[in-house]
Amino acid sequence: MEPLDRDLEEGLLELPSEPMMLNMGPSHPAMHGTVRIVLELSGEMIQKADVQIGYLHRGFEKMCERGTWSQIFPYVDRCNYVSPMLNNVGFALAVEKMLGVTVPERCQYYRVALGELARICDHMICSGAMCMELGAFTPFLYFARAREIIWDIFEEETGARVTHSFGRVGGMANPPTKYFKDMVRAGVPRVLQLISEGEKLLLKNRIFLDRLEGVGVMSKEDALALGWTGVVLRASGVPYDVRRAHPYMVYDRMEFDVPVGTTGDNYDRFMCRQEEIRQTARIIEQALDQMPDEGPINIDDPRIVLPPKQDVYTTIEATIQHFKIVMEGIKVPAGECYSYTEAGNGELGFYLVSDGSGTPYRVRIRPPCFATTQGLEQLITGLMIPDVVPTFGSLNMIGGECDH
Amino acid sequence: MSLVEIVLAIVKILILALFFLNMAALSTWADRRQGAMVQDRVGPNRAVVYLPNMAARAIVLLPPALFGVLAIFTSLGQVAGRAAAERFTVNVQLTILVAWFSLLVLCAKVRSGGAINRAEQVFEDVDPRSIFFAGLGVHAIGLVAGRLVPQAAWPLAAQVSGFVLGGLFLLVGLYATSRVPDGKIPLRLAGTLHALADSVKMIWKEDFIPKNADRLLHGLAPILAVFSALAVMAVIPFGNDLCFADANKNGALDFSDLGHLLATVPASGACNGLRVKLQIIDLNVGILYVFGIAGTGIIGAAIAGWASDNKFALLGGLRASSQMVSYEVAMGLSLVGLFLVYGSVRLSDMAVWQGQNAWGVFVQPLGFVLFLTALCAETKRVPFDQPEGESEIVAGYFLEYSGFKWGMFMTGEYIELVFSSALLVALFFGGYSLPFVHPDGITVAFGNTVLFQYKMTHLAVSLISALAFFGKTVFVTWVQIFFRWTLPRFRYDQLMKLGWTKLLPLAIANMMVTGVVVLALRNAGPAADSWLKLLADITQGLVAVATLAGFVALVVGLLEPVERKKFLASSAARFAAAMGGVKPEPQQA
Repeated sequence: MEPLDRDLEEGLLELPSEPMMLNMGPSHPAMHGTVRIVLELSGEMIQKADVQIGYLHRGFEKMCERGTWSQIFPYVDRCNYVSPMLNNVGFALAVEKMLGVTVPERCQYYRVALGELARICDHMICSGAMCMELGAFTPFLYFARAREIIWDIFEEETGARVTHSFGRVGGMANPPTKYFKDMVRAGVPRVLQLISEGEKLLLKNRIFLDRLEGVGVMSKEDALALGWTGVVLRASGVPYDVRRAHPYMVYDRMEFDVPVGTTGDNYDRFMCRQEEIRQTARIIEQALDQMPDEGPINIDDPRIVLPPKQDVYTTIEATIQHFKIVMEGIKVPAGECYSYTEAGNGELGFYLVSDGSGTPYRVRIRPPCFATTQGLEQLITGLMIPDVVPTFGSLNMIGGECDH
Repeated sequence: MSLVEIVLAIVKILILALFFLNMAALSTWADRRQGAMVQDRVGPNRAVVYLPNMAARAIVLLPPALFGVLAIFTSLGQVAGRAAAERFTVNVQLTILVAWFSLLVLCAKVRSGGAINRAEQVFEDVDPRSIFFAGLGVHAIGLVAGRLVPQAAWPLAAQVSGFVLGGLFLLVGLYATSRVPDGKIPLRLAGTLHALADSVKMIWKEDFIPKNADRLLHGLAPILAVFSALAVMAVIPFGNDLCFADANKNGALDFSDLGHLLATVPASGACNGLRVKLQIIDLNVGILYVFGIAGTGIIGAAIAGWASDNKFALLGGLRASSQMVSYEVAMGLSLVGLFLVYGSVRLSDMAVWQGQNAWGVFVQPLGFVLFLTALCAETKRVPFDQPEGESEIVAGYFLEYSGFKWGMFMTGEYIELVFSSALLVALFFGGYSLPFVHPDGITVAFGNTVLFQYKMTHLAVSLISALAFFGKTVFVTWVQIFFRWTLPRFRYDQLMKLGWTKLLPLAIANMMVTGVVVLALRNAGPAADSWLKLLADITQGLVAVATLAGFVALVVGLLEPVERKKFLASSAARFAAAMGGVKPEPQQA
């Protein structure tokens, strides 16, 4: 017998349909309140995605042109509010590069140790938030508990838990406390233990692996073309780490491995982050071992570093010094420079222009996740709505930084 | 249908409906409490009602006083023979129970709030667990020592022990009342009042309907969701069949017969009087009715998604309906093996079979796992909560609901959770039966060797069976609540794949293997039967031992003193310690 519908054309069998436009964000649980994605859907399949950023734009760069160089530290804190210490250090290094000064060795180790602690926080929050958005709440709490330990250390060292504003041009706001090394040596193993426990809940879980593996694949070439840096780039297979490629501070004396992914999917990004936490712990250990217990933290230059408070009240020289630095700012020689460091989610660059006064002429930031977010559209096109969540989560996009 | 049957049906419906609704409220509370616990923050336990001091004292004093007076009054009458011995044993055991339990409470109070007099200071260093273990020891000693009392002294011993019990009750009540602090007393009930406050709040909230929504369907959807969740409970048996004597010899049940519950029923459960089932209706289609009605629950979700005029809600509704389609099949097929074993689709027959043989979970372990998975998908709980998928489609199908309509969806969902637990109990965890408890009492027997036998009245057995059913349901609900918070959720297509390519073939394989095994065993002869009976008895023994061990472990775990060590004392904590160690109250933290 002949099939009955042999005369019908394929096209006539399907009902006429058009894609559904769906506005995801900025008020959406997975969009961190800062991104809007306009999706063109066929069923749940994403045919086209339009990623729109800028909901957290605060005019960071313009704000920087109003105060002195030192007054920028609180602003950079709020760029990447997950790992502010790394931004502090990055900006301090940029200004010091223009001034042509190098901080004492003890301070360099201190900066490395604090910065790497902040990196652990950054990676944990990214991985944890991704799990939470997938519905697994408990691993996130393990990571948050681990971060709490690091925040306790930060609170002890800087007096603040999140936005420390602890960096200074030519040093740090305070020398390390008496307990610093002991606290970190006690805290980091516990942090690693908590992370391993949290991982146990995830890495043997078929559902979790299914959601990550092979989803959101970015090839090496595309990642480079998009200007990706940091973990997301390394997960795609490019072993580029600023700490290794262009060592700054004392990173050339540290022994650590750069974890590199093979496929560049969500799973690789997750695993690279987890492995980097362990490598970071190694760096912290070495930094603590090599860090001298005595010695100056700030450079010995009264034009750059504030004098001790006691002298300000008792000697006229110190009073004048203090007045000049606070009211006029540090005189940075005219010129321009680009300084870049490895922040939590990639290469954090500062392009500074000075006209020789105490105020920056121009501060340009190169936020790592700005480039990363460019790739989101390419990543999620062709996936399903649920895949947006882990893919976006694994990019570690920080609104404050991305939107300047 | 006679009037008495209608009245009985209404009573049964009320019992089940109240149980389900209250359990739904309680599991909402448990869910939130657990969420708060894992986040280490205050949960719903802040809900509080302040009682006037006198009312609080009355609440503390009245129940023990009532029990005490009751104990003394019952002991005034003389009893003789075995009844006296039994009463003596029960009195002694109750006295010991009351003693160690009140000591435990006192100990906990002293440890948390401090001693109020010299005598109480003794308890400051006592580990609550030692009181519990000492209590267990004294229970055993009491049992042995009770045997030493000569037969002539039984009536006297029964009376004296009754007076001691009554006196102890009064003493405990009075002392507890004296410990009630002055002023208004906060009544927290571990925060269960929060559920009540929530529902009151939901009634008064604005009922928002989107401008372009289909108003009729938008209102209908939550009703459908709750209706199906409530309607399925009709076929759940929640206790032994009650057997009444035909007092007026008219061969039919009427109100005068209800007072004449038979004293005993033979071990087979045969009833030569009038039978009343503890089940709203014993349909011959049984479990098929459950499948039919439970399936319509998802229609509510689908309609809600369609009627809300919201794209996220529409996606949620679509997901709900596709999920239902792919899991309903696996769910039905996973139970076919069970039907083959039980030889019936009536839930009441299943309960009886499980009581006489072994629990369903031992007979059909694979079927159990498959059914549990499908049931989770059916009740839309993590990891199958795609229709809600909060981080993907915000809240899914009930995104555009607020006020009491939203509350109805939530209630429906939690009733479904409780109902699914009840169904699991009825199908796989022995229904209302307990290991070794038969209609005529407790008989611990393995094969034909009887180890222990204790006759009980029909009333006692029926009460125990109903309590067993509700207790098991509460336990399974609690276990199901644990699934939440830990597992990530599936992607929608992975979920379909799991349903069609894993669960369905496994269910069919299970069905075929079970069929072959059942046929083989039926033709195997009496020797195999006796072996099977022994195996079944062993599983019952396992359950009994596991239950007892679990109970002891639970009490010990609850009594374990909680010690929170701060890992790194921050400056703030150190300053606080230096100032005399201010430890924030849990409510302040």
